[in-house]
Amino acid sequence: MSAYQKYRYENDCKPDENRNKGTSRWTHCRKRGADGNLRKSLEVGEPDKCSQSSRRQESFTTPESEGPVSRVKNWGDEVEAEEMRSNVQRDMHRYRRRILEADFPQRDRKISSGSSDSRDSKDSKESPAKGDIETDETTLIRRQKQINYGKNTLAYDRYIKEVPKLMRQPGVHPKTPNKFKKYSRRSWDQQIKLWRVKLHAWDPPAEEGSDLQQIEEIDLGEIMEFELDVECSADTEFQCPTSSGALLSLAEDSFAGTPKKMMKIEDAEMS
Amino acid sequence: MAKSACAPASSPTTQGNDANKQARGFLVHRLNSMDSAWTALDVVTQTMVQKAIADPKTVDLEKLSDAIVEQSLKDLSFCKDAGRMCYAVVQAEAQKAATSAFRRNLLTRLQQEFTGREQTRSHSVQEWVCLVTFICSIFDYIKVNDAPLVALVDPIYDCLFRLAQPDALMNEEEVDCLVVQLHRVGEQLEQTNSQRMNQLFYLLRDGFLLQEDLSSMTRLLLLEILEFRASGWTLTNTAHKYYYSEVVD
Repeated sequence: MSAYQKYRYENDCKPDENRNKGTSRWTHCRKRGADGNLRKSLEVGEPDKCSQSSRRQESFTTPESEGPVSRVKNWGDEVEAEEMRSNVQRDMHRYRRRILEADFPQRDRKISSGSSDSRDSKDSKESPAKGDIETDETTLIRRQKQINYGKNTLAYDRYIKEVPKLMRQPGVHPKTPNKFKKYSRRSWDQQIKLWRVKLHAWDPPAEEGSDLQQIEEIDLGEIMEFELDVECSADTEFQCPTSSGALLSLAEDSFAGTPKKMMKIEDAEMS
Repeated sequence: MAKSACAPASSPTTQGNDANKQARGFLVHRLNSMDSAWTALDVVTQTMVQKAIADPKTVDLEKLSDAIVEQSLKDLSFCKDAGRMCYAVVQAEAQKAATSAFRRNLLTRLQQEFTGREQTRSHSVQEWVCLVTFICSIFDYIKVNDAPLVALVDPIYDCLFRLAQPDALMNEEEVDCLVVQLHRVGEQLEQTNSQRMNQLFYLLRDGFLLQEDLSSMTRLLLLEILEFRASGWTLTNTAHKYYYSEVVD
């Protein structure tokens, strides 16, 4: 059975789907009924509807999807995914503009191609050359989710309240990894881990033990939860904003003592 | 029964058809009446909405979204404008709590209702019409980074196609719903998926031309929407005069 036919079959077998019952006007276009048996012949008189139906279904096999995409999508999920995508796109445009402004502070300056007159090594470390930013959407979204996890902590909230951006000292104060820079997967994951460990210094005072002890406990937790983050697919990670506004996944809670609040959906922070 | 509905070119207000006159009076009246989603709500829900906008964390947003969906299915005047109120809550939650529980639960509830729409229609056409109106209102007002909710486009088309079926065209309630929604969100829908809009209008033309037992009101509404879209989702001045002038006896 082709993947395409397979979705229709799976879809038809969903018992709670109204449109699989005989009364729906789409059902006569389906190859199989809800019971899985092949239907007789398609109604000849309604070719338009059949082609509408098949056109609709095809629209769900997007190039970006990892495999057969279930036809029945959850609207809440779809909207959130779309929001994340458009946030990342917007961030990328802002970032590109920022980079261009940094590289070309005087707009009327002529740029000679190939010559490196205005760019010394310091500049290229600070701002990646125009061609070298990360643009792959899947990667950006994955990275953004990891950043969101970190920013969705009480520690982060306390940190940004206590230390304004201008007062941040490099090395001392944690800095959010820049998702637009090119890094290997391992390098990026490591940066995230270190960033989150650093943030723990701003954890709200807890009942048990000293700060030092807390950090040690959490360090272990960080590693474990980090590993879980890495291994889980992007989708399962992001089940978090449940309708009850529940906290992040159970694994994170049980391993790490980090106090969390409700899941933040977006953050365009690029510090 | 096929009385001519064409008015003499010289005067838009003279017509030989009483039903036509009545239908156009209805259109004018609708244009003039104010919708108020706010006053349609009971005091408890009103309070909840105000609190949610002021401080989203203090309100059970799920409960609120449930209450709003409940109300929308009962009251047509509410659902026309409810989208605006919902968007206010969505934005407040995003800005003040950085979460989107309200929007998520709203969409989930809506999706449930949408899935059961055929059943809803068979036991209450009014509820069905309210549902379509509410979904379109949500689509109209709630945006994601200034873009429309793409997830709702196909479902809304599904609803409109249903409303354009011969059995639905027999109910003025459903026809009215169909054309109102097309006025509100037709252009946006077409921008996201023009193919389905074309298909929908095949159905509308067919209905207008071929279905013999349509009421005068229905034919008027269909003709108006056909012209409306043909002029790029607007009416020419003369067309507007024909359909929306004060009807003089």
